[in-house]
Amino acid sequence: MAIQTIAVSISGSNASLITAKYAIYLAKQLQAKLSAIYVVDEKSLHELLKSRIFVEIEAVEYEHDLKNQGKTSLERIVKMAESKGVNCEPLLLEGVIHEEVVNKTKELAADLLVIGDLKEVLSAREVFYDEGERIFRESPCPVVVVKNPLEVERLYKVL
Amino acid sequence: MKISDYLKKEFCIMDLKATNKEAAIREIACLLSDRGKVKDKERFIQDILERESLGSTGIGHKIAIPHSRTDVIDGFAIGFGRSRAGIDFKALDDDKVNLIFLMGADPQELNLYLRLLAELSKLLMENAFRRELLSVSTAEEVVEVIKKFEGAGATIK
Repeated sequence: MAIQTIAVSISGSNASLITAKYAIYLAKQLQAKLSAIYVVDEKSLHELLKSRIFVEIEAVEYEHDLKNQGKTSLERIVKMAESKGVNCEPLLLEGVIHEEVVNKTKELAADLLVIGDLKEVLSAREVFYDEGERIFRESPCPVVVVKNPLEVERLYKVL
Repeated sequence: MKISDYLKKEFCIMDLKATNKEAAIREIACLLSDRGKVKDKERFIQDILERESLGSTGIGHKIAIPHSRTDVIDGFAIGFGRSRAGIDFKALDDDKVNLIFLMGADPQELNLYLRLLAELSKLLMENAFRRELLSVSTAEEVVEVIKKFEGAGATIK
């Protein structure tokens, strides 16, 4: 089975640039289409409003900033992909992170989902709550978990 | 990322001297600053108080979580203070606050900050967690309690 479509989930952190670089590397090597997904974490915003740690105006401001961060991150990744001759479709979504990533991956009929390294899991609780874990477990297609940033940088550089 | 990755025993005050909200925030902020977590202490305090002016972070159950995004912190910082007598934080339930978690994050670390705040809020909703934090004697025990509840499978709903 040829890998024709790759989805990559990014968070806007510096670490997720490494994830994006590996996804670009794979897309180039496999001549696959690439879609980058950023999800505005509305679940956390909602929880913080509900528990009254956030006031309304604060939540609105955070939501706005998260959207801007997502937009900026996606634009950066599209440019990075272009510089390597890879077309990348930017997808800015809102909602529960793992649900949006999994649903979009299904919708794209992606053959591969690329995600950042998973954190150390201490308990069953974390498996249930951690968004990365849930994406990994619920993905409709094979998942590549990116590790070894130095090697990723090397591969990306020589691409 | 977990709260215990950031909240170390060095960032805990077991018996706050402060008797009011601003003094309590200042006391914990000074500790974080003394430990090298804050680049500009006065700016940090000002940013926290500015956020407080939008509405109290005294969320009830004897807890307050004063917080702010601020560029005087690299990454994320959290400090803990406990007041035996309780402090008037103008909390939502009008009760005095005994447990204070002071948090600040670099504005670039939006997702990390949101998740850690949400994680702390989940932990603090548990009666047993609050009870243990109120009863422990040392900063080491505070960190142990947090680790215990972060790793507690029994809390899965």
